[in-house]
Amino acid sequence: MRIDRLVTPWAKRAPDRLAIDGSDGTLTYGELDRLANQFAHALRASGVKPGDRVGVHVPRSGRTVAAMLGASRSGAVYVPLDPSSPPPRMKLVAQDCGLRHVVISPALLGNWLAAGVREPVEHFFLASEGAAPPGADPARVHPWSEVQAASAAPPEPAGDSPDELAYMLYTSGSTGVPKGVMISHRNALAFTEWAADEISLAETDRVASVAPFHFDLSVFDLWASLSRGATVVVVDESTVISGRRMVDRIQAKAITVWYSVPSALVLMLDDGGLAERGAASLRTVFFAGEVFPMKHLRRAMAALPQARFYNLFGPTETNVCLACEVAPPPSPEATAIPVGHPSCGDSVLIVDPEGRAVPDGEVGELLVEGPTVMLGYWDAGRRTPAKHPYPTGDLVSRRSDGELMYHGRRDHLVKIHGYRVELGEVEAALHSHPGIHEAIAMAVEQQLVAVAVPSDPQVSVLDVKRYCATRLPRYMVPSEVRLVEALPRTSSGKIDRVRTRTAYIGADWSLLRPAQRAEPRKES
Amino acid sequence: MEARVKADIQQHIVSTWLSGDERGFTDQTDLQESGILDSFSTLALIAFLDQTFSIQLEPADINAQTFRSVTTLTKLVMEKLARNGTEHAAK
Repeated sequence: MRIDRLVTPWAKRAPDRLAIDGSDGTLTYGELDRLANQFAHALRASGVKPGDRVGVHVPRSGRTVAAMLGASRSGAVYVPLDPSSPPPRMKLVAQDCGLRHVVISPALLGNWLAAGVREPVEHFFLASEGAAPPGADPARVHPWSEVQAASAAPPEPAGDSPDELAYMLYTSGSTGVPKGVMISHRNALAFTEWAADEISLAETDRVASVAPFHFDLSVFDLWASLSRGATVVVVDESTVISGRRMVDRIQAKAITVWYSVPSALVLMLDDGGLAERGAASLRTVFFAGEVFPMKHLRRAMAALPQARFYNLFGPTETNVCLACEVAPPPSPEATAIPVGHPSCGDSVLIVDPEGRAVPDGEVGELLVEGPTVMLGYWDAGRRTPAKHPYPTGDLVSRRSDGELMYHGRRDHLVKIHGYRVELGEVEAALHSHPGIHEAIAMAVEQQLVAVAVPSDPQVSVLDVKRYCATRLPRYMVPSEVRLVEALPRTSSGKIDRVRTRTAYIGADWSLLRPAQRAEPRKES
Repeated sequence: MEARVKADIQQHIVSTWLSGDERGFTDQTDLQESGILDSFSTLALIAFLDQTFSIQLEPADINAQTFRSVTTLTKLVMEKLARNGTEHAAK
């Protein structure tokens, strides 16, 4: 099976059933199928060839889904781009995978053009009626009317094999350049089929779309739902920042299945009155992306006694490879729950640094083999096949009952509210600031902290944050920036990360003396 | 009153998100472009405004325009306080 073929059977069987319920409008299965065909024809007419990459840079809506599906039907590989990412980072992605075609909202196109990002994109397709921003080259910007005028008939199928590349998700890269995770149709559907079967997903379900489309959680929301005739209910970007709005949306839309990072559930408990208001329609809650603090998991399960909770686990490179249902709720003494046992047809190994399997109970690195393991990375314009079995960099141990427990990472990859952040990418941005001599980034209790040594006493915390905000997506901008005189060193002269972290947490400013400050130059 | 509200908001932002470094920060500084506000710091700021000024910000009050700068936040708080005052007077 392939992603580009998922919707058509339902469009034939139940064309009037709601496929996407977005805050900006709805699409039935029939409408979604036709709109995807129109995107496919319009993209092909402007030169998209099988295997080309097509960027999709549009806030989450039914049209965004149709654009991804249409790109796939044209034979292309769709690349969902982060609407919150600044244009210079989009340029890195566009250059890395050679994006010649991008489906985009008029507002985001304005940002691209204002930042001077054009190469290598040759064709921008507007995803809404709005006019092209000033300065746009009319020969390169295709208005929404062009998609609407395209044929809605099924295009000639472009590919047949489930092992072809379906989409790429760009994640934080340790060298400062994001890298593309290459996912085949088989990779994606091994997960969505498993998850849909596990919870008997059906036409009657209304599945929330909470996660951004460049984030792998969204793969379930879209393709599991659309493969089973369910309705995807978009919980849009302005709703996910408010617990109250999220609970409102669940209640108003009678959402039955929810998949998000734990932070979103905690937000609904703290700020949305979830415990008092409840959400009787919810039958399944999947969570992934970060550790769910036990006290909050207990609160969430008490607030939603009718719902079944599942912990899903896996890096973007393996989608979901471990899973388990949380039942019964963790006891008051429990300090952690398992990340699960192998799922989706995958198998796992836990090995020591020499690659030898470790006995049960001992900590080692998680290696994964099976249908969800990515094809490889698209990195610096080159395709690098995945290692097999795939080393995740996650440290786990196996309990006697076969469930795996999580023990952190072996490198500098951290999670901030569920987002993967390579500290190296944040540090690369800090180092590129002309007034910073050296810097390190670290995660402290879900906060991204930068400790930097300025070479120019006029550099202020505001300067550093503003500079980062022009180069990194918002979730990678350090929430705290400390400017210090010097960083502690190890005996070999390297920056001592451990002592820096300990000094920071213990507020030991004798080790991290504040840097001398001068008034910043007046902005001219 | 307005000057107090403005000073309180400005001081809170500088101490919470700029490590106390007020250099370059003004009541016109764009809080989003400067990387100060993201979804999580926005929530913390809403909680601070609600508590400090005894107001209740509604979803309709919270958008990119009202959360643009210390000046726009001050305007929002003053409007909420004025509305509260009218409601109290009516009772």
